[in-house]
Amino acid sequence: MTTSGIAALIATILVGGAVGAASVVGLVNSQTSAPGESPANVEQPVIDYGTQS
Amino acid sequence: MPVDRWSGLWSLALGLLLLGPSLAPGYVLSYDMVWVPDLSLRPDFLGVGSALPRAVPSDAVVSVVDELLPGWLLQKVVLLGSVVGGGWGVARLLRSAPLVARLVAIGVYQWSPFLAERLVLGHWPVLLGYAVLPWVVLLTDRWRTERRFPLALGPLVLIGSLSATTGIATAFAVLIGVGGRRTRCNVQALLLVIGANAPWLVSGLLHAASGTSDPAGARLFALAGEGTLPAPLTALTLGGVWNAEVVPASRDSFLVWVSLAFVLVLGALGMREARRRLPARMLLTLVVLWAAGLLLALWSWALPDTVAVIAEHVPGGGLLRDGSRLLALCAPLLACLVGLGAGRVTATAALAEARPMVAGGLVLLPVLLMPDAAWGAGGRLAAVDYPDSYAQARALLQSEAGPTGDVLLLPLSSYRRPSWNGERKVLDPTGRYLPRDFVTSDELVVSRRTLAGEDPRVVAVAEALSAENPEQRADLLVEQGIGVVTVDNDHPAQVPEVAGEVLLDTPELTVLGLAGAEPPEPPGGWITAMTLAWSMFALVPLAALGRRLLEWARRRRPVPGE
Repeated sequence: MTTSGIAALIATILVGGAVGAASVVGLVNSQTSAPGESPANVEQPVIDYGTQS
Repeated sequence: MPVDRWSGLWSLALGLLLLGPSLAPGYVLSYDMVWVPDLSLRPDFLGVGSALPRAVPSDAVVSVVDELLPGWLLQKVVLLGSVVGGGWGVARLLRSAPLVARLVAIGVYQWSPFLAERLVLGHWPVLLGYAVLPWVVLLTDRWRTERRFPLALGPLVLIGSLSATTGIATAFAVLIGVGGRRTRCNVQALLLVIGANAPWLVSGLLHAASGTSDPAGARLFALAGEGTLPAPLTALTLGGVWNAEVVPASRDSFLVWVSLAFVLVLGALGMREARRRLPARMLLTLVVLWAAGLLLALWSWALPDTVAVIAEHVPGGGLLRDGSRLLALCAPLLACLVGLGAGRVTATAALAEARPMVAGGLVLLPVLLMPDAAWGAGGRLAAVDYPDSYAQARALLQSEAGPTGDVLLLPLSSYRRPSWNGERKVLDPTGRYLPRDFVTSDELVVSRRTLAGEDPRVVAVAEALSAENPEQRADLLVEQGIGVVTVDNDHPAQVPEVAGEVLLDTPELTVLGLAGAEPPEPPGGWITAMTLAWSMFALVPLAALGRRLLEWARRRRPVPGE
């Protein structure tokens, strides 16, 4: 295998690995994260515009 | 100025994937985004009401344009345009770069945290400004170099000036893009942005007495970090909105660090290419915009107390509170640099055999680093229909037999979570659905902390509602010009009883009529001032056309002696 072929293989593995890992982590994260807010309840009738980060 | 086919298709595909179900028939109602079937023009929308001109000129423009297109369809056009327009713009900026650079730049611009977060937050005028920004850079550069006014710039500047903050950002981009030694060109650019921003500027000056804001907002709305990424580094990735509720879950994971590495490494690699491929003056414009946007955002994070002082004492100073909103200015340069960096990586000779795979991975990476932005932010943006009771209430107020006076929206709180909207938060849409001026709470509650509003009429109405009995409340409301009271039955808060005729009673809405109310008349001077302001606004595209016709006539004029 030539030097450029080895470099190409390494680059492919790196980029492919990053893409694959990002996909899996992103998907798992989006499906398993807790909801961003609780449902409204009658004891706290004012609805917040948002929650400070 | 066409965009090449592959860039156009990729941009459109990303737009469709991002918006997903929100493009279905119906209305997308999310936080500050309220669209209705037919928005009626009214004094408040023209800037002569008692409230600060927060939705001037956007509401007035929508109320005119939705005479041509149904409200729901106009919203789709605006949403898709605000997502795709910017992508096409950066592709045009990089027209001499390799295809992979353009595609990556489109991804960075369109699949950015800024766009995803502001979309859920419902800041559609901000997103329109974001979409026109690359075009403004392109066209002002052409104006300066060719010494001919680009006809498209007038309408684009108007689209980019539909709210105060966006108008400031667009005006800054125009002035920096055109700025040079040619005084005449500079003056024309200044007149252009003054005209485009005249409605909110003049209305803001008329409301100067109530134009200061609650200083506590400066700390609450400041630039924020996402996940474990500190705020300054988050800003480099175009994230950092104050509201944690609208931040995609993927931004709370280690993926934010990967995103940071992605933009920093490729951005650094793209710098040399940018100097080679972009005109030096255009690159300077992009760098100045990036630096200004980043510095303003960082200011709100590092020194919120100084922003608070300005918001508290300077009318209009509250515009600086939302620190990350001006990060839009950073996006064109960032997208160009990352795109060009990606182009440089894929051009590396060593990658010969793997080039297509590496290029494909880089093009997809912006999407894969924030996958939960897809399909309407993971289903958070969806189109719904209003219950029939809204149309019934509107018909009641449009009939000649209906009560006179303005509308009061109860409960007196800003936001709702209607069951028919999937319990998604939205600014109370009732007022915009109905055809009259309305009074609603302008207090904002953030993390259970209440920020005071500015509208003196809301204070007067709240006092009226605190009277001892329903009859007194009704009398005091009529004195304030309130002739109609709507009660959102979907809201859990208790509403003080008001004595009036029940005109409509449905599970969603109750409408009461109060006899004898007359809406307040704005001062004559205000009407004159706003007529001038709107005339300037309307003249922007006409003046642009006139300027172009003048140039055309000059070129056609025979030269003496020939």
